[in-house]
Amino acid sequence: MSILDYVPEDKTPLPPKNAEVLTTCCDYCIVACGYKVYRWPASAKDGGPKASQNAFGVDFPAGPMQAWVAPTQHNVVMHNGKPHKVVIVPDKNSKVVNIGGDSSIRGGTIAEKCYNPKKPTRDRLMSPMIRINGTLQPVSWDTALDVAAELIRHTVKEHGANAYGMKTFSYQFVENTYALSKFSKGDINTANFTFHDTPADVTSTPGFRDAGFDNFGPSYRDWGDAEVLMICGTDPYETKTMIFNQFIKPAIDQGQKTIWLNVRETAGLAYAKSRGNALFIQVDPGTDVPVLGAIARVILENGWEDSDWIKKWVNNKWESSSGFGQGTRNTPWQWRTTWGKFQTKGVDDYKKWNLAQKEYDPKEAARIANIPVEQIYQAAEWMAKPKADGSRPKTSLAIEKGFYWSNNTGNTNAVSSLATICGAGGRPGQVVGRFGGHQRGGTGGAGLPRNKSPQKRPGRRRQAMDCDRYFYSGLTRFAHVVGTTWIQAMCGAQGLNNKFEELVTNNPNQVRSSNKQAIIDTLKKRMDSGGTVVLNQDIYLRDPIGSKFADIVLPAATWGEEDFVRANGERRIRLYSKFYDAPGDAKPDWWIVSQIAQRMGFDGYDWKNSNEVCEESSRFSRGNRKAYHMIKVAAHKEGKTLHEKLREMGTEGIQGPTFYNYKTGELMGSVRLHDTEMTPEMMEAQGRTQGANMVNKKMTHFNSQTGKVNIQKHPWSLFSDYWEWMSPKKDELWHTNGRINEIWQSGFDDVDRRAYIAQRWPENWTEIHPDDAAARGIESGDKILLYTDRVPVFRQTIKGVHGSDFNFAELLKNGWIELNKAAVEAVAIVTPHVKKGTMYSYFLNTSQPSNVLQGRVPDQISGNYNFKMGVSRVKKIGESKYKHEFTHMSFAPRNVV
Amino acid sequence: MSDTKKKDETAADHGRCMLNRRQFLMYSGTTAVAASTISISLFPGEAQAKARVVTYPRMKVARLSELKDNQPVDFNYPDDGPNSQCFVVKMDGAKAGGGVGSQRDVVAFSYLCTHQGGPMNGKYQAVGEHRVLGQCPLHLSTYDLTRHGIIVSGQAYQSIPQVLLEVDGDDIYAVGIMGLLFGRNENLMDA
Ligand code: SF4
Ligand code: FES
Repeated sequence: MSILDYVPEDKTPLPPKNAEVLTTCCDYCIVACGYKVYRWPASAKDGGPKASQNAFGVDFPAGPMQAWVAPTQHNVVMHNGKPHKVVIVPDKNSKVVNIGGDSSIRGGTIAEKCYNPKKPTRDRLMSPMIRINGTLQPVSWDTALDVAAELIRHTVKEHGANAYGMKTFSYQFVENTYALSKFSKGDINTANFTFHDTPADVTSTPGFRDAGFDNFGPSYRDWGDAEVLMICGTDPYETKTMIFNQFIKPAIDQGQKTIWLNVRETAGLAYAKSRGNALFIQVDPGTDVPVLGAIARVILENGWEDSDWIKKWVNNKWESSSGFGQGTRNTPWQWRTTWGKFQTKGVDDYKKWNLAQKEYDPKEAARIANIPVEQIYQAAEWMAKPKADGSRPKTSLAIEKGFYWSNNTGNTNAVSSLATICGAGGRPGQVVGRFGGHQRGGTGGAGLPRNKSPQKRPGRRRQAMDCDRYFYSGLTRFAHVVGTTWIQAMCGAQGLNNKFEELVTNNPNQVRSSNKQAIIDTLKKRMDSGGTVVLNQDIYLRDPIGSKFADIVLPAATWGEEDFVRANGERRIRLYSKFYDAPGDAKPDWWIVSQIAQRMGFDGYDWKNSNEVCEESSRFSRGNRKAYHMIKVAAHKEGKTLHEKLREMGTEGIQGPTFYNYKTGELMGSVRLHDTEMTPEMMEAQGRTQGANMVNKKMTHFNSQTGKVNIQKHPWSLFSDYWEWMSPKKDELWHTNGRINEIWQSGFDDVDRRAYIAQRWPENWTEIHPDDAAARGIESGDKILLYTDRVPVFRQTIKGVHGSDFNFAELLKNGWIELNKAAVEAVAIVTPHVKKGTMYSYFLNTSQPSNVLQGRVPDQISGNYNFKMGVSRVKKIGESKYKHEFTHMSFAPRNVV
Repeated sequence: MSDTKKKDETAADHGRCMLNRRQFLMYSGTTAVAASTISISLFPGEAQAKARVVTYPRMKVARLSELKDNQPVDFNYPDDGPNSQCFVVKMDGAKAGGGVGSQRDVVAFSYLCTHQGGPMNGKYQAVGEHRVLGQCPLHLSTYDLTRHGIIVSGQAYQSIPQVLLEVDGDDIYAVGIMGLLFGRNENLMDA
């Protein structure tokens, strides 16, 4: 990997008084901080250091927390064809999210994201390309789109709709996701559709869904209002920075108790510990279920559960039977046959079940998780023991990927049940939810035709297609890949890569001519002979999906290059303003899709601009957590467009679902979902129920048939066979992976294109405990090889017949699992902040993707990957150049306080 | 992969530094800014005569013989205006990029966090073989002082600015700054 040179600058331009100001939000993590873009012609004079000379109205040198421009916060862009300077800084006037203009290292340097031919962003895709004679060659939009449309038409006609597969980002703005899903799931009507982070279009948190909890019901301030906060599988300082800085850290300073389930200790956790009110439960990978189950047991045995709340808000026997707790229609597929494994008759029944399971005995749970047993008692006491005056602690629970991608169904079930007995759900400071990953930019233009999926669980319902397995089986003839690397982002990535090589590169039908018809004929032959054609839309040429495999590459316009709408992790909807010209011929994804669709003869794609797409999509958002339909209603009443109305709301935006009071003309947001302190009567009194307003259960109740929570069992046995098989043997160590503060939801920009971040993290890296390192002669800075011949891979698309067919032990016995070998190189970081016996790597270095080590066996209930589960051996293979130099990387521990 | 030659990549740089700090280039292979850069501001449309040519002052900040291990000594640089608080420290034998003295463990940095200006006075820490500045009291950033102040963990938009040092006999001189001081639009501002 080439390393960019970071040259520290010692000056920076200030925006002049008359600079134009546009609002946007950070493009990266879920938090979605508010930003201002200051823009002025490059030929005009910069602002000066006196308050009267600059757009901030601040005298420089500025004081702490005042406006300032770091050298990484400005850029030069083209606007209306003329060079302009931009300064992009967090909005100092923010009253929400990044209050007062705070930001992280990622968003803080977002100005560097802009295309600039003199900077590392110079390799943006500028022109459509087709691979001819093995090389991607620029072609006109017309040629590229004609070829794409004709090939898709042919695939669908000759090989069926499922032969067309779409793998796409789920988050990159509602206008794009709407157009993409309308086209693929709607007009093409393929079941071969999924998002960037999962092999199948399924919920990320099956346990929340089944309990009746929305992933993003809480408001950010709820995390700070909690007196006790359990944080599972993340350090929000690193990966939800502003939620931590603005809400959790101030709460910790005022005595909030935090309980952390994690394998490693980073800065936020270390800080919480230093304040004396944190409990760090350093579990072994995949062992959260026994720990949470044991905490629940201790609470119930002591009678510390929130009985009053439970009486009102938890389903009893009859209620939980009513349509499997969810209604007889629209029942998630697995409930028909596996619901019995999870269903309870209420809290008493759950207690009886919990007490009967040996793994929820605190001693046994502590043994499995490899933690001190006292921590289980301590956690139970903090979370639920009534105070001396009889009042209850306000407890909230937040989860993220380290947790729900370890044992997807089990962990999300267990945390839901623990939350339920603590009374966490729908009250200020008493909530349960995800912190979040990417921002929420998905609007479904059509539903997944699940009935067309060949996969079937035992019982009646079809299971959403595992698109990786379908591709693996050679059934995807046309792969439409939008804004994701696909290959490295999935488990067992090496096998997937080999399959692409076989179906795409090694197929004899390769384009040799630039004649349009010849291109079409050749690629049709490829598909008809069992090969695959790849279409890739992206902003950069990604390796290998674009650079090696794509037959057609289409350049996309992105953040800042088009007006777009998106919501964040508290459902806050904002306009992300266009402030500069997209590079070259790049076009937004919605436009690209609309052009293909129109060429295929589909109706309803004649949008003229992104606002038109947004306005069409709004009705599909009705009833969902970020419903923005009523913004359009309000806008039209005022003679504005939806985008214009949102622009007026600047960085504050509005929290979904939105409502419109037809009498007063007031547009209203929603602080939290499942608001159990809100009643349907109050909703009506506030004017949230008339006209096009859509009120559904999730506003004042939970997402179940009765509106009450389903407390569920969380059988460890559904996962324990996999966990035991996985557990390190001989000289193996657990291998897990994840994100890091400096690169989080921004990997598509920063490692490759920000000199400073590239200098900090120039290569793949793995953290290893000093004892494990010493035993293998490994020191910080050594080059190491992580290698294993135990990567379990689920082989083919199969149908399950019997209840236990998808248990790992059964799959293994019946030959559905094959074992792959994998190896990846990394730079060792020897540090006590990772647990002994466990290694932790960055999750997605595109040249050394650590996912190759992780098992490719989807969660048997949900269909998600348990990305965090892997084992590996490790050995030193040399020294990296970083070991003895002073410029790149740092081997200092992340938990210094 | 060959690792026969134990590399000390900054040794060459170091030699160069000792010859003339003002010629010190932190990044081999770049023709970038010299330590004590000549900063020319040319506003488009204005006559060239208006361009300012500025250099960092050469300022004595401490004596090698008086520095005690792991005990920072404070000074202001490049001027006595706001946001100029810096420190020089001998890091108890921890060799550092840009370090001076026989063990190359004497370095100097700004105290102001380059995130939003949090004061990190009193936040110098020796942790095992590591030398760290932080956590910043405002948002917990930490910086690695052996590696030119690169961020260890945190939210700052750049490294903590390093004050370039020169040794003349027992005297240590500050001769320049790498990186922009928090709150300034240029390090050298008109008084
Ligand atoms: S990456 Fe997240 S925390 Fe950082 S500025 Fe962007 S939205 Fe805010
Ligand atoms: S000011 Fe130092 S981390 Fe924010």
